[in-house]
Amino acid sequence: MNSIGTACNDLKKEYDTCFNTWFAEHFLKGNSDDSMCAPMLKIYKECVKKAMKERQIDVKEVEKDILGTENERKIPEQQGR
Amino acid sequence: MRIWTSEHVFNHPWETVATAAWRKYPNPHNTAVIGTDVVERRVVDGVLHTHRLVSSKWTLPRWASKLIGSPSVCYASEKSEVNPSTKQMVLKTNNLTFCRFIAVDETLLYTPHPTDPNKTLLKQEAVVTVQGVPLNSYMEDALTNKISVNAGKGRQAMEWVISKLNSEVQELKNSAVKSTDEILNQTMKSFDDISSKAKKSFDDIQNLRSSQSIPDF
Repeated sequence: MNSIGTACNDLKKEYDTCFNTWFAEHFLKGNSDDSMCAPMLKIYKECVKKAMKERQIDVKEVEKDILGTENERKIPEQQGR
Repeated sequence: MRIWTSEHVFNHPWETVATAAWRKYPNPHNTAVIGTDVVERRVVDGVLHTHRLVSSKWTLPRWASKLIGSPSVCYASEKSEVNPSTKQMVLKTNNLTFCRFIAVDETLLYTPHPTDPNKTLLKQEAVVTVQGVPLNSYMEDALTNKISVNAGKGRQAMEWVISKLNSEVQELKNSAVKSTDEILNQTMKSFDDISSKAKKSFDDIQNLRSSQSIPDF
């Protein structure tokens, strides 16, 4: 799977590989220490943030909670009910 | 507004399904998804919180694109929580690009099957809302139908990823290589020869479906 930023692809692959191992071999077995892949995640995340900015994807909108908050779309009130 | 719900049972333990869920893309069933990126990820009180940006290429009916335009790439925000002690994995996705007219909110919940720990239950819900567009109820129907079709593809995709994971584990056992380096290499390798395995797994699924007469979704 690719990243939105082609420049981030190698960083993403490296991090994903680490994460998949960590998730199955450590996290699911009760070890929640996530320092194993943290350095890779940091560099990869910075690359993604930059790529999102270049594509004008609003980071704030991405980070906004929708479901279960007042931002969630409600059923419009219908007339005559 | 249209609400679509579905339940599905995977014949695999929760740990296998949760691991596969992270590796769902790329797969030959949902080729629309072209990218996934982690925006934020952290462990809080033993629960893994992840926020991902999912990039996909949508194909709407031509009349629908005429009404709302057809952006080449759409972005969705996916927030998830994995709790290994209660064995719950929940993913909530909402689209970003179409927000002006169309809201698609989807929730996936993976839990162990209540009576069989070797199985996993998937509960899926999608809410489609179209506003400010003529024929909005037709649009909602069209999108809900699309979600229904895609959900079936999503389940096939999960089975495909799980079979890929299982074959990787088997390969590792056969080669009797246990070092972390080798595991990493094997995983990298599996990314590379995805196309050949994709064809094989797809054939397997086809055979499975025809032999067990699983209905088409």
